[in-house]
Amino acid sequence: MTHEFGLFLIRYLHVISGVMWIGLLWYFNFVQIPSMGKIPDEQKPAISKVIAPEALFWFRWGAAFTVLFGLLLALMNGYIVEALTLKEPNIGIGMWLGIIMAYNVWFIIWPNQKIALGIVEAEASAKPAAGRKAMLFSRLNTMLSIPMLASMISVQNPIM
Amino acid sequence: MGKILESLKLTIISGILLTVIMVFATEAIYNNQVSAPEQAASDLINKM
Repeated sequence: MTHEFGLFLIRYLHVISGVMWIGLLWYFNFVQIPSMGKIPDEQKPAISKVIAPEALFWFRWGAAFTVLFGLLLALMNGYIVEALTLKEPNIGIGMWLGIIMAYNVWFIIWPNQKIALGIVEAEASAKPAAGRKAMLFSRLNTMLSIPMLASMISVQNPIM
Repeated sequence: MGKILESLKLTIISGILLTVIMVFATEAIYNNQVSAPEQAASDLINKM
């Protein structure tokens, strides 16, 4: 396998993982959360017990592999240090935003979603607070995804 | 911050504002990174 093909393959896997991650993030924030209030109570378990846990599986692993392949791509291209130290801020800011977002997914959103959806044992009173925290950090990631994607694209097509 | 994030519209507007800030921050970081040859040329001009 040539180095050029390796770069193509890792970039392809980075983009595919990223589509999975950000696609599901936007599904949660643009579709699922705004729709929950309109769904009759007896039908809500279809979301909370079936769809959300399945979507969260692909969501968190999409996040992990997007960052993994992104860092690998930066390493193979030889700019990982320059990007992470912001000597190359165009891609560096986007990389840091992506890393912060992935941290939020794995260490804030997922643990709180497990409580909110009843995947782990927790007191009933803890569920609303956990659900709200997961929702707010999911929204924060939606906010950060806008500059993050702009940063990623600006490497190929500079904004200014 | 919580109030902004509770609203999808405000979240999107804030994301766009952050993008604008990021563009100017990126430009500022680039401008502050003067390379060694550029610095030498600048020092030479200042001595003249």
